[in-house]
Amino acid sequence: MTSLLLGVVMLAYLAVGLLFLMGELWSSPRLKSAALTLFWAGLGAHTAALLGRWVESYQLAALHSPPAGWADILQLVVFQAPLSNFYESLVFFSWCLPALGLLSFRRYLAGYLGAVVAILACLLLAYASLWVDSRIKPLMPALKSNWLLIHVVTAFLGYAAFALAFGTALLYLATERRPRASLPPAAQLDRLLYRATIFGFILLTLGILTGAVWAETAWGRYWSWDPKETWSLITWLIYASLLHARLLKGWQGRRIAWLAVLGFMAVLFTYFGVSFLLSGLHSYLT
Amino acid sequence: MRTGPCPWETGNPSRPVTPSAPPSPPKPWLWRTLTSIRLTVFLLLILAAVAVVGTLLPQDQPAAQYVARYGETLGSLLWVLGLSRIYYSPWFLLPVFLLALNILACLVHGLPQAMRRSRQRLDWDTARTLPERGRFNCPPGADPRPRVAQVLRRELGRPRALSFPDQEVFLFERGRFRPLGPYVVHLALLLVLAGGLIGKFWSIEGQLTLPVGEEARAFRVGQHKEVPLPFQVRLDSFQVKFYEEGGMPKEFRSDLTFFQDGQEAARAICRVNEPVTFGGLTFYQASYGTQPAGPVRLKVQHGGVSETVDAPLRRPVDLPGGAAQVMAFRVEGDLQGYGPAVQLALRLGPGHPLVFWAFQNHPELEEKDLPYRIYPESIPFKYYSVLQVKRDPGVWWVYAGFLLFLPGFYLAFLRPPQRWAVVLEKAEKGAWQGRLLGTSPRGREEFQARQERVLAQLKKGAAP
Repeated sequence: MTSLLLGVVMLAYLAVGLLFLMGELWSSPRLKSAALTLFWAGLGAHTAALLGRWVESYQLAALHSPPAGWADILQLVVFQAPLSNFYESLVFFSWCLPALGLLSFRRYLAGYLGAVVAILACLLLAYASLWVDSRIKPLMPALKSNWLLIHVVTAFLGYAAFALAFGTALLYLATERRPRASLPPAAQLDRLLYRATIFGFILLTLGILTGAVWAETAWGRYWSWDPKETWSLITWLIYASLLHARLLKGWQGRRIAWLAVLGFMAVLFTYFGVSFLLSGLHSYLT
Repeated sequence: MRTGPCPWETGNPSRPVTPSAPPSPPKPWLWRTLTSIRLTVFLLLILAAVAVVGTLLPQDQPAAQYVARYGETLGSLLWVLGLSRIYYSPWFLLPVFLLALNILACLVHGLPQAMRRSRQRLDWDTARTLPERGRFNCPPGADPRPRVAQVLRRELGRPRALSFPDQEVFLFERGRFRPLGPYVVHLALLLVLAGGLIGKFWSIEGQLTLPVGEEARAFRVGQHKEVPLPFQVRLDSFQVKFYEEGGMPKEFRSDLTFFQDGQEAARAICRVNEPVTFGGLTFYQASYGTQPAGPVRLKVQHGGVSETVDAPLRRPVDLPGGAAQVMAFRVEGDLQGYGPAVQLALRLGPGHPLVFWAFQNHPELEEKDLPYRIYPESIPFKYYSVLQVKRDPGVWWVYAGFLLFLPGFYLAFLRPPQRWAVVLEKAEKGAWQGRLLGTSPRGREEFQARQERVLAQLKKGAAP
């Protein structure tokens, strides 16, 4: 049921991307507002699918160990948040993109940027539905922790904000090369890039901190130089250098945009590359 | 070399802090370098590059591994240069140290000024120099002051009212402590680094392998070193549970009893994600295993004859008829949720033996197509639990740093400073003229949106 719904959501995001593009190319406000409406509808359905999966996951767990009392139920609800394997994390990542865009960066989410966000969300969902095992599996002991929810939520919201900064950086580099009336002015893109990066940086930091606290309770070590940890640190260092480089003369604009592109490459490697190419403590994600 | 005021500031303060400060003498080169953000960016990118190398090169392997993998010359070079333990080598630690120095220097350099600035409340002398954002007129008759105060309270927050002979002033400011934000964040980072350093010198970490029913007085650190425990700990029982037969593990659980001076002091359950702390040491459920507690008893059927055979571990035993041998070489207390199991090797003649698992509770899982049918009747075993044992006084510093990040980020990023003033001046015939002043060096868009709203409200509120 939820996978069917997610298929529909994926098509909706694809349509949103195309509508944004067409609206921009033909400068049609009607198409643009249609895109925005459909985007909201897609996000609503996506949210419903996430919640549906949460309920399914909870019911499965309750079958194995029936909860006794409210505290138990609450604990099980938190444990069974649909964030415990690669498929679920992909679905959540693709949810974060439109959610963040529509809720926190509403004013900017139109035209090409809207299209980039929608297409990225669509691609993530397509990857999840077509190539990743979507079965709900019971939770392994290492993942039974209250930190799972907050760790994954902060990390992926951070990733989504960086994706937004990445899209903005691409647009910035495009406008810088050849200014176009259809693209937002460079100064505005620069500001948006900065804001999205700050958002992502705060959330990535929180993701790393919660991960460290969790690692301390689970493995007795808040930092073990596991490849995932190390790559999240590399990502963090790149974005930290971006935030500081903005204070330097001669570093605004294009260099910042390239740092945002580099940073997002690091994000992608942290998420995908580490899981597939390097082995480590986070390998249960695959 | 340095550009911009160090550190961590972009938007200029709305007015200089010390308007008539004498020009300070130029700082020495070293200090200018240490407080430069260019150095920060450089170090951050260096650290990122070194960390990348650390994930591409296998870490913590013996020297022979590197030679085998990268050849004699390159392999030993990697080893000698310390690239096999890159995060503990000067390649990584030196930039970290320099970064800490850089942060410390910036703190020393800029914190006093940031504190001075956040102590400065918005006063009339400053407020009158704020840029004007709009005007509105108040008709004679009604006193505009309550309306203005109400609008400001609704849109911004509680304003401060000042009265002068011919003008009334309302002041509001937000984010006054914003200049402290970056300093708090960087202080938090230093705390985390300090915690790491403390842990490096004063932490102890080891492993305790404890069979069920036995008591430990020491644990193992590194490969060979035994460190005595200041108390005794006994593993009363160990359990592993599975969601279903052939399914995922659900829980690993060690029931521990601690003894102090021969007296029982505490009982505790240690699970994954639920460590147990006693006497300053913390125990984490890390691993477990099964050890045999006697010979495995096998029922062997061959050609209608059934016989029982006792097979001690790792010792071949002749099967009835003498044509074949069986050896038990591993037992598991619960193999994938199917209960006790023994791994057997069956030698039927020359050539490789057949290796398979036999389950005590699941005869239907037997290995098919063998001339012998072998069922384990009893598999005596005992679990042992592997516990990670640790004490790290640095953790509290690290956690303090983590906590400090939160207010730091809040101040630095989520509280853009805003300064507002509404000035009411008496005009002719009892009418008033109002001016809205204000500025926000950061977050200009948010400021502009708010400014338009406030101005619209003021105009509406002032109209008759």
